[in-house]
Amino acid sequence: MRITFNLLALLISITAFSQNYKFGKVSKEELQEVINPIDSSATASYLYKNRKTHFQYLPQNGFNVVTEVHERVKIYNQEGYEYATKQIALYKSRNNEEEVSGLKAYTYNLIDGKIIEDKMSKDAVFKTETSKYWDQLKFTLPNIKNGCIVEYRYKIFSPFITNIDEYVFQEDIPIKKLEAVFEAPEYFVYKKNVKGYLPVTPKTERLNDKFVYHGVSNNTGEAGTSSVKKERYTQEVTHLTNKTSYDLLNIPALKEEPYVSNIDNYRSGVKYELSYTHYPNSSVDYYSTTWEDVVKTIYESSSFGDELDKSGYYEKDIDALIGSISDPVKRAYLIFDFVKSRMKWNNYHSFYTNQGVKSAYKDHVGNVAEINLMLTSMLRYAGLRAYPVLVSTRSHGIPIFPTREGYNYVVSCIRFPEGDMLLDATNKYAVPNVLPTKALNWQGRMISEHGGSTLIDLYPKEKSKNTIFMMAKLKEDGSIEGACRTMKTTHKALEFRENYIGVNLDDYLERLENKYDGMEISDYAVKNDLDLSQPVRESYKFVKENQADIIGDKIYFSPMFFLRDTQNPFKLENREYPVDFAYPSVTSCKIIVSIPEGYKIESIPEAGAFMMPDDLGLFKYNILPQGNKVQLAVETHISESVITPVYYAALKTYFSQLVDKQGEQIVLSRI
Amino acid sequence: MNLKFSVNICILFTTMLVFGQENLYPVITIPSELSANSNAVIRLNEQSVIIDSESEMHVQGRKIITVLNKRGDRHVDAHVYYDPNIKIKDLKVSIYNASGILIDKIKENDFKDVSAVPGGTLYSDSRVKYYNYTPIKYPYTVEFNYEIVNKNTAFIRSFMPVKDYLVSVEKSSYRITYPEHINIKSKEKNFENFNLEKEVGDGEIYFEVKNIEAFKQEDYSPGFFDIAPMVLVRSTEFQLEGVQTKVENWNDFGKWMYHDLIKDTHDLSEATKIKMQELVKDEPDDLSKAKKIYEYVQNKSRYIGVQVGIGGWKPFNASEVDALGYGDCKGLTNYTLALLQAVGIKSNYTVVYARASQRSFEPDFASMQGNHVILNIPTEGEDVWLECTSQKLPFGFIGVFTDDRDVLVITPEGAQIKHTKKYTVEENFQTIKAQYEVQNDGGISAKVKVISKGIQYGDKYNLEVETKRELDKAYKNRWKYLNRMAIDNMHIENNKSTAEFIEDINFQAGGYAKKIGDRLLLTLNAVNRNTEIPDRYRNRKWPLKISRGFKDVDEVEIKLPAGYQIEAKPNNALIENKFGSYKVELEEKNENTLVYKREFIVNDGDFPKEDYSAFRNFYKKVAQLDNSKIALIKKKL
Repeated sequence: MRITFNLLALLISITAFSQNYKFGKVSKEELQEVINPIDSSATASYLYKNRKTHFQYLPQNGFNVVTEVHERVKIYNQEGYEYATKQIALYKSRNNEEEVSGLKAYTYNLIDGKIIEDKMSKDAVFKTETSKYWDQLKFTLPNIKNGCIVEYRYKIFSPFITNIDEYVFQEDIPIKKLEAVFEAPEYFVYKKNVKGYLPVTPKTERLNDKFVYHGVSNNTGEAGTSSVKKERYTQEVTHLTNKTSYDLLNIPALKEEPYVSNIDNYRSGVKYELSYTHYPNSSVDYYSTTWEDVVKTIYESSSFGDELDKSGYYEKDIDALIGSISDPVKRAYLIFDFVKSRMKWNNYHSFYTNQGVKSAYKDHVGNVAEINLMLTSMLRYAGLRAYPVLVSTRSHGIPIFPTREGYNYVVSCIRFPEGDMLLDATNKYAVPNVLPTKALNWQGRMISEHGGSTLIDLYPKEKSKNTIFMMAKLKEDGSIEGACRTMKTTHKALEFRENYIGVNLDDYLERLENKYDGMEISDYAVKNDLDLSQPVRESYKFVKENQADIIGDKIYFSPMFFLRDTQNPFKLENREYPVDFAYPSVTSCKIIVSIPEGYKIESIPEAGAFMMPDDLGLFKYNILPQGNKVQLAVETHISESVITPVYYAALKTYFSQLVDKQGEQIVLSRI
Repeated sequence: MNLKFSVNICILFTTMLVFGQENLYPVITIPSELSANSNAVIRLNEQSVIIDSESEMHVQGRKIITVLNKRGDRHVDAHVYYDPNIKIKDLKVSIYNASGILIDKIKENDFKDVSAVPGGTLYSDSRVKYYNYTPIKYPYTVEFNYEIVNKNTAFIRSFMPVKDYLVSVEKSSYRITYPEHINIKSKEKNFENFNLEKEVGDGEIYFEVKNIEAFKQEDYSPGFFDIAPMVLVRSTEFQLEGVQTKVENWNDFGKWMYHDLIKDTHDLSEATKIKMQELVKDEPDDLSKAKKIYEYVQNKSRYIGVQVGIGGWKPFNASEVDALGYGDCKGLTNYTLALLQAVGIKSNYTVVYARASQRSFEPDFASMQGNHVILNIPTEGEDVWLECTSQKLPFGFIGVFTDDRDVLVITPEGAQIKHTKKYTVEENFQTIKAQYEVQNDGGISAKVKVISKGIQYGDKYNLEVETKRELDKAYKNRWKYLNRMAIDNMHIENNKSTAEFIEDINFQAGGYAKKIGDRLLLTLNAVNRNTEIPDRYRNRKWPLKISRGFKDVDEVEIKLPAGYQIEAKPNNALIENKFGSYKVELEEKNENTLVYKREFIVNDGDFPKEDYSAFRNFYKKVAQLDNSKIALIKKKL
């Protein structure tokens, strides 16, 4: 905690003069500020961001959640004008909805040394229905000019006590002062989950509190009669309230970087999730708190565990499919292929079934849960140790703390004595242990028969291979012609199949040709595109111009020709977040170049190899002249799916060296 | 009840008729030339527009489409927009498998119903109901039936059989029926290569096309609207959000717009008018006054789109924009107009099709057209055009968004079609002055000054507001062929008064010249290489269109490393053709200093498709010459 202390001391010294954060008390100093003193690139800053979420007892419908928001935003320039429009997402279910009240908003400008305020009118507030479950309230403030300040406050009443919106502590612009409070009566116990890189230490208190309970007593008359006499009564109930508060200063903006699977993984915030409710004189109702509880809740849901247990709908088909086969691995392949060919994924992500497995099976269409739970159930029926694995897709972020919302996807895993086999039947071209890239996100949670769970690593261990053989004949005019064959395995093969199968061939070839600046391709053929048990193979002939420089009486060329990488994908000088390649890979090129008649090799690049630290990457370059031919073998390895920022400089250098080495030239001179 | 019954019979009747001709559900009945090169085939698209009166229009449709592969899914397009003026009467979808067997039926309740607020708009009352089908197998066929009633008759849908690339059409028809007192006009476009059947009856017009092969998108081709066959349809009597009118020509149209939608929105307060007069009182002429006012609007306002009811067509009142400081394109343009009026400058509200591929108004067909509004200031010389939604553009600069096209200029006296500013080759000018020094290890250190004007200014002016980190990225992307680029210094200047963008960049690029034994191989053009070659087509279909020309002039001084001398160098080159010209010259200033001069001009214009490969070869040759290298060899001591 020493770091926190030092940081705080520093931050306090920056904010030297004291501010008044009461609504409407905008100061001239704030209006005069031209840039954010800590981040000069900020287009706007939150001068103050306050949120208080607490409970309110209403006689008609009991406890409700009230969230009070007060924000003061400084807008420095036109790029920050978007912060003059605020959007609030409001959840609704069939009978209930969240509502906004008490909205007040003002714009402040400093004109000729005077503070001029403009009140937002009701006409600038709009409510839109965005889906069955969500409404959106938007409002925009008047008279936005460079340097102005907007300030607004509102309350959201929510009947949904299980769903407290996440507290966001870090925005895309800096926050100068943030105060946040969460208060819940002792009847509602929430688990607090903090994420992100900021040091956040809340203050916790227990307060005495009370509310007036409005009850109706049933003074029942004789049994069976309709004369029930109801009496209304009120009673003051005292209780404890748990309060946590946060007070943060000068929070830096969160900045996007390329090759990050999902920036929200790194955004600071806190999420309150309901663990259990315990009303006076009632038993405890559990929601979730630990991963075990989360898994239990999911497992016991009728849209998960029960669906896994159903088998009647497919038994006949599976019996016919595997009746004569006893080898467990063969059974697994047969069932996996059967589900893939029968079921079509409807593009919905969820670990809960929607229509249910039975009707999905009948219709040949299902969401992720229907398809992969069905698969797991069938595998179990065939006597295999198959388990569902909860996954969070890359766009959904990494499940950092135990919540049901942490996951959004489910795959299947079979435990064989030789090792685990991960399966996802939603993708037609997926094979065992090759999950679609979107599902490759750290770890999944495997759920056992009784609702227990263990973590398993989703990233593939095996390198996906791309092997290229090229024969090229260099002509005196600098053009080349030749033939190329490639062979791709696992993820590279999956990506190839997704792009190739089912698209118009002419169209595909034209794209391929234009990817190489209009290279002419002929005799294009693909093998094993539909035989997923084999690597996919591609072969073609090509003609390409301008592949060598003719200067004076010499010819200069890079023997990798159009196969070489010409730019370093990593351009930023520094980065803060890991680089995510999704899977380890190796590309190897074997190239034979024949040189034009009447020329001899004057010089060739040296063979060489270099690597990244800790075996993260390896590059090998071997070259051998043989008469009028040159043989070249180049290998590029990326050994890990994810590379931490500590290695960023090494990674950048690695790619830079790789681009240089691949570009090295052979010089030919006339005999 | 009776009416509904008769409608049903009608539909039943047409259905039977179709079945009588041919079964459109099985894939096997698709003519092979229609399935080649397409992702989906529209088997049948029947649209029927029934105008009951100025204030009621029924639209019925039946579309049968066979989707051949996953790229065709999006062409099913089973959706209907609606708002308080449009009621949906019928909506259903049926799915057929490849052999034409019905496999699923979807009713209106199963459609998704969401708000249709377009990007950049805060609020609109438009909504959409749509259905997305998850195919189990390809190919499959979808039949989509709909019927809506619209109280607005200002927009009558066009007959547009081809709506997108890579979709072919087996049969598409369009029928419009209307009462006696209403006049329907139509205009056919781009039917040179297609056969349009047309029947004109009493209060009825019918169009039909058959067997149109899929269109393919190609680089440097005309915009879709200039190649797709279409029949525009309008009624001379129509209603828009409760306002009725009669329009024979653009002049009528302009009068109606001016008097019913625009005129009474210029309600500025006296205080604002006086403020404006104060603001411009020292300016010598109208143009500099207008500039002052334009800049005032830019500083005061921002773009916020709100479209409710008539607000979709009528601008906000000027007083309202004045008070709120925001508005949409109509509101901000109209506000600027009112402010200019206050200082005695006449300007005109102008409707335009805005997007980078220029689309013009139909000069002889007065219907609701366009999607954006700009301001026109007539002057004795060239008219001035103002984009009032931008807070950044220099006065009079409109850029690719609205340049070089026919637009509708609305005046109190009527309306006129005018042509917006065209940026010429000479105006789209970029000049580079640079020096770089080659070190013995092949690295270079460079000083580059880039000045851009015209459309080339428009490509870059947004850089002004980027953070240092983003700028660093932008330059590394511009010079992506410099592998080890490190930028030492960047300075940019946006000169709004001359619309010039000036960039000063100093950088290092390690290993730029390739070391091969005793030699250094140096690509002369380090700062402005053309690396894009237009795509090659096995069979070019569309004419060649170069929308905008440009001119680049570079002069680069190259200092060679002391220990090397020139072994071989490329020849000077000159290419001249109708697409433009390219000239490169290398001078030896002294023993170790070279001067590299390059001039690259591309002309805008329209050319027949046969010219495409020559045009592509021109670019290819330029790319090759931009890659020319000089060989240096170590001096023998």
